[in-house]
Amino acid sequence: MVSDHEGALHATNTGIDNRKFGMWVLIASECFLFGTLIANYLVNRARGLSGPKAQEIYEIDITTLSTFDLLMSSVAMVLALHGCQNRDVGKFRFWTGIVVLGGVIFLGFQYYEFSHFVHNGLGLTTSIFGSSFYLLTGCHGLHVLAGVLWMSTILATSFVRGDKWFPDVPLEVAGLYWHFVDVVWIVIFTVVYLFVYI
Amino acid sequence: MAKNLPQTGIISWITTVDHKRIGIMYAVTALFFLLFGGIEAILMRTQLMVPNNDFVTGSTFNGLVTLHGTTMIFLFVMPLSAAFFNYLTPLMIGAPDVAYPRMNALSYWIFLFGGLLLNFSFVAGMLPDGGWFNYANLSGPKYSPTHGIDFWVLGVQVVGLASLIAAINFFVTILNMRCKGMTLLKMPIFIWTTLVTQVLLILSLPVITVALVMMSFDRSFGTGFFDPEMGGQVIMWQHLFWIFGHPEVYILILPAMGIVSEILATFSRKPLFGYSVMVYSTCAIGFLGFAVWAHHMFTTGLGPWAQALFSAGTMLIAVPTGVKIFNWISTLWGGQISFTTPMLFAVSFIAMFTMGGLSGVMHSSPPIDYQHQDSYFVVAHFHYVLYGGAVMALFGGIFYWFPKVTGRFMDETMGKIQFWLYMVGFNLTFFPMHFLGIQGMPRRIYTYAGDQGWNLWNLMATMGAYITALGGVLFFVNLIYSCFNGKRAGADCWDGRTLEWTLASPPPEYNFAVDPEVTQLDDFWVRKFDATGNRVEPALQPEIDPATKHLPNPSFWPLVLAFGILLLACGPFFDAKGIWLSVFGLGVMLLGTYGWSYEEA
Amino acid sequence: MEILKKSTWRDPLQRLGLGWMAFSTSVFAEGSKQAKAFDEVEYQLRATLESPMNTIAGLTEWARGINHVYGITTLVVTLVFLAVSIPLIMAIVKFRVPEGTDLKQLKPPKQVHGNVQLEFVWAVIPVILLLFIAVPTWEAIFEQPEEAPEDALVVKVIGHQWWWEFQYPKYGITTANELHLPAETPVFFELTSADVIHSFWIPKMGGKKDCLPGKDAMNSMFFVTPAASEIKTLGGEYFQGQCAELCGSSHALMRFDTVLHTREEFGRWTQVHNQPPQVTSALQEKGQELFAQCAVCHTLAGTPSEEQEKSMLALGTPKQGPNLSNLGSRKMLGAGTRWNNQRNFIEWVKNPQSIKPGATMTAFGHLSEEELLALSAYLMQSTVKKI
Repeated sequence: MVSDHEGALHATNTGIDNRKFGMWVLIASECFLFGTLIANYLVNRARGLSGPKAQEIYEIDITTLSTFDLLMSSVAMVLALHGCQNRDVGKFRFWTGIVVLGGVIFLGFQYYEFSHFVHNGLGLTTSIFGSSFYLLTGCHGLHVLAGVLWMSTILATSFVRGDKWFPDVPLEVAGLYWHFVDVVWIVIFTVVYLFVYI
Repeated sequence: MAKNLPQTGIISWITTVDHKRIGIMYAVTALFFLLFGGIEAILMRTQLMVPNNDFVTGSTFNGLVTLHGTTMIFLFVMPLSAAFFNYLTPLMIGAPDVAYPRMNALSYWIFLFGGLLLNFSFVAGMLPDGGWFNYANLSGPKYSPTHGIDFWVLGVQVVGLASLIAAINFFVTILNMRCKGMTLLKMPIFIWTTLVTQVLLILSLPVITVALVMMSFDRSFGTGFFDPEMGGQVIMWQHLFWIFGHPEVYILILPAMGIVSEILATFSRKPLFGYSVMVYSTCAIGFLGFAVWAHHMFTTGLGPWAQALFSAGTMLIAVPTGVKIFNWISTLWGGQISFTTPMLFAVSFIAMFTMGGLSGVMHSSPPIDYQHQDSYFVVAHFHYVLYGGAVMALFGGIFYWFPKVTGRFMDETMGKIQFWLYMVGFNLTFFPMHFLGIQGMPRRIYTYAGDQGWNLWNLMATMGAYITALGGVLFFVNLIYSCFNGKRAGADCWDGRTLEWTLASPPPEYNFAVDPEVTQLDDFWVRKFDATGNRVEPALQPEIDPATKHLPNPSFWPLVLAFGILLLACGPFFDAKGIWLSVFGLGVMLLGTYGWSYEEA
Repeated sequence: MEILKKSTWRDPLQRLGLGWMAFSTSVFAEGSKQAKAFDEVEYQLRATLESPMNTIAGLTEWARGINHVYGITTLVVTLVFLAVSIPLIMAIVKFRVPEGTDLKQLKPPKQVHGNVQLEFVWAVIPVILLLFIAVPTWEAIFEQPEEAPEDALVVKVIGHQWWWEFQYPKYGITTANELHLPAETPVFFELTSADVIHSFWIPKMGGKKDCLPGKDAMNSMFFVTPAASEIKTLGGEYFQGQCAELCGSSHALMRFDTVLHTREEFGRWTQVHNQPPQVTSALQEKGQELFAQCAVCHTLAGTPSEEQEKSMLALGTPKQGPNLSNLGSRKMLGAGTRWNNQRNFIEWVKNPQSIKPGATMTAFGHLSEEELLALSAYLMQSTVKKI
């Protein structure tokens, strides 16, 4: 959670709050992080010498469901922010809760997927395809986990600090992060899961 | 908790979020690691003084090679540059502090822990020995089974995280916190080079982060990203490393260029020649720096087209760099040059950096590179760029801003003697290395036969290294002496041009009592003269009661969070049980994060 | 100044560029001839000019092509260096303020902020100069074939920690640390590695290329070997090479020799190389028996160890040590670390790690002096020494 006070002391040159600006910069950096991971996956996806191959193991319908779930949590994020900015504490809390729930469901799907893959013979070290897959989706999963922690902290803080607490900027920063994690997943879904069918 | 923390003493330093104090801590730590890197260099040169020497063994030598490179780059030049960013950025742009003061403290502590982790390999007796670019698969678990390489991988990972946090901080600071009137093209050139450096860091560090994670996985969890026997490719590491590694070269040299530009203008009493072109060429260098990484890999068999493109891109970098060099000379031209110690270092930078740049142009040509690659010619080249270039400029910067930081000048006589010891020692060490390269001496060999015609040059190089070491000792003597006995320095002690000289030396904790406002580049300098060119003394910043200024509160949490990261990174050293140490580290990180979030800033 | 006279530098530009480079290394030598006190210096400088690994006396067409680009580039960068250093020195001499001047009393100089025309000029001139480097560079890049030409002799080079394996598929020959090549012949090298990355480099024959591990990571190098007239010593001319990529603790001790033969001589070499050592004395017979222990890792062409190698290869566990066929003919032992003689051979077998730290060979310190002599009597023979 970005603190309430940091950077709020001065008018900025760009007119963008320091905290929001910082998140944008972090996102730029994260783009290169995921870009590298995706490139690594693309290079290595056909290089697995043993174990199951991508087309043998992916379950596209389940992944489509989890993608839909993550997309919807992004919508919930927009509504939560809307509630916060309109000083509607009920709406703010409800939709923040939905974001958390969406994230948790996504993580559940990922847990299911990973254990299912392992059960079908694709472990972390089975093949370099598997390693690259787990590295990429695992890294994304950790990002979702961080987002879930962040959003649930905001939710808990809201109950602690009462009905008059509306963290506009922190929530917007968290929202930027959450939307980014969502967008990255769409890229991963396309490149990792859908490209198999081309 | 935060508000009750003391303002002086050791606790005040540990909990500080003041960018000036953090800058000083960065500088002191970087100079401490310089001692390490320097001693490693001296040991290597002693081993290579005569043929068939057995002063150290091959594997120790490889460890020294690796740690010397890694220490000098990640633990000396980068953090010393960061020290300048920290101390100067808010002062030069007229800001009260950086955008995120506590993040700033966090980045320092992470850097310190990362540096200590890397150097703990000495204590553990397991030196990382894969070279500073740690090529796979030599660095894989099969060929480097000890934890030596782990110290490197995790140490660099942690230090890289510190740089990333600092980079985001400075980027936002520069773009968001400039004083009134300071538009982008009125920023001091050092701020511009800082800004471009942060962009390079923000975009290149994630790539090495991924590469290091992959290497950690290979080493700790048995994946095979870089293991050909499992379908991996050794060349993948090289691509990922150099996609980071080449921008890294500019991360090291751009701040130095900024420092030199400031010093040259001050001691020529003229504005920097072609300021806007300097800005654009800095950006061009930064941009091109991302498109040339494969020139480190010409001998790996990239195929002719890739070689042609990457060599053309590399040659293109010579254009903005050349423009800079001639603009520096034009800055001197027609000026009133006074050869203070910082100026000596700055002028020598132009000459030495030109030499390094030109030998760089030579091996931008793949056929020549086939002969130069991994030979002493390359060693000579990058030492001219990074040592004759970056390090000389950073020393100039230390002599230039020391009076601002401490209120005392560094001793000029000792400074000049150090400069000449460095110039003679440096050139005696590294110029003969061009000849060694021409004569086919490969780099990173710990011994050589006596019949290769390399003996004389190696002896000369070693003598040069000893002379440089004398200069280094003199520098530390000067530093300590001047802290206590140096000549007193006033606010504007060098007749400066930028905003930091309007502040008392050392500056008060709150920086600017009155929010500064500028109307042009080098505003302070221009205001020193009236319309007819007669000297008028412009007003300096007044001093006020610090209590009237709101300052960010000191905090313990950055230290706690950084310590959690250290614990997390220590896990892999304890094999299977280490996972619990890592989990505990994660817990400490969470504690730090929550403590931080709920603390009043 | 001998290097200046070498006929291998084919055009004036190249002569000028490389000549300047050689001149700068030899200028001390000429000067020190006058001063007798510097005999040692002079000796060292002669060694410099004639150094066996030097990169500016290319003997193949390929290496000369590199030297051609090299010469032009050296010239261009030297010119640029002068163009920078002369005005720099002029500026600091001319515009220096005398020591002790009170600058604050001095009216500042004319405040020049820049000059667009001038800056344009020094942005364009480097582009033109770079073209002088770029064009011959690109020519040279596309000169190297990626596939083996029809008439080329194919040599497989395999880097090992820390020795070199050379295979001649056409002749069924495998040897180590001594590369034999016929004169005036196109040679295509297929470079791979058995363990970590190595870099194959014979400076006088051309630049280096990396030997990468992995099935699909083959690298290649091609050149036409020098003319027979370059062979000045009996039994072939030796050219040194060395591994150039950090490959572990004994990276410095991974050297090799390239022996250039006349074509006839090379033909004879290929015929006799694979003949097994003769066993004519009791000592040699004992050596032959002892070699059975060595054969776990090493192969001698024409002996049962060859069959053993084939069966081990079929199992996917190739022998770890270098092929020892005709060991006695080799100039050096331990990948160029020691002269090949009986004393060094015995010392090596007893304790290889004392000569090459980290070497994976088992130390045979338990062998008696007599056994070691027997082994050397058997192994140190040469069928090709007098080809």
